[in-house]
Amino acid sequence: MNDEELAGVWATLQPTAPQRRRIDARVSAWLEARDTPLAAEWLGLFRIAPLSSAGLVAVSALAIAVAPPVVWFTYALM
Amino acid sequence: MIDAAMPRGSLLAALFAALSARFGGDAEALAPLAENEIARLVERARAGDTGARQTLYVQHVDRVFRTVRGMLRSDADAEDVTQDAMLTMLTSLHKYTPRTDARFAAWVMTIAVNTARRRFRRRRPELTATGELPETPDNGVDPLESLDRARRRRALLVALAELSERERMIVGLRYGADLNASDIATTLGLEPATIRKILERARTRLSERIEALLNPEGGMS
Repeated sequence: MNDEELAGVWATLQPTAPQRRRIDARVSAWLEARDTPLAAEWLGLFRIAPLSSAGLVAVSALAIAVAPPVVWFTYALM
Repeated sequence: MIDAAMPRGSLLAALFAALSARFGGDAEALAPLAENEIARLVERARAGDTGARQTLYVQHVDRVFRTVRGMLRSDADAEDVTQDAMLTMLTSLHKYTPRTDARFAAWVMTIAVNTARRRFRRRRPELTATGELPETPDNGVDPLESLDRARRRRALLVALAELSERERMIVGLRYGADLNASDIATTLGLEPATIRKILERARTRLSERIEALLNPEGGMS
């Protein structure tokens, strides 16, 4: 088997169309995520699900507000 | 469709999707570009030209897959490594320094080999050599041709599994990435003479084994 024939056999390792599409999609998704600022992600989330996003923000704010007194109270009891 | 008002990320995603639909999995996707054209694309990509980045991606993605598939144990591993290597390439272009003794492809393959090596360290290195059949037949391909291709692919993977890790890398870079001995030497940090010696030995073993697997009774295929 000469060099050319071996190169011909090696061509069988070419990715199939679905494999190539998967690689392209993953690379594209990763680059998109990298290039999208966090603020834009949040705005996108609000656009898709305004109620649940607002709920998430409210719960987060409440947790931040409630956590310090709870921690302080727990320390005081110990 | 690509819209001028789209944010940069979405524009990039749309371009990738368009290219994927156009070129996905096609062996004759693009003719390889000359080194000076590649150098110009690298410069444009560094300056933020998304189209140049795209072309660099399309020029190298199949080569990377073919190269690492020969080193790894499964198609899934090869997909993961190709994805990671291409991302590293696209996000590290600012680190690339052109050299007179090595092509841009050698730099890309260094990234691919290092990514594959990290996978070797995480998992057992040997190939299972199953030579899986493609999950879906390519449209418009003669079933007999497809069967013959699968048979040759299986024989290659079995033969590769019998080579050492270093030999697999070297033959992968030679036949998968189409690099010459000098480029392979740059990629692996070895002397070109050493590469030529290993390549010749590995090529002989590989050829004999593939021929034996394809023609078990010693006849011609």
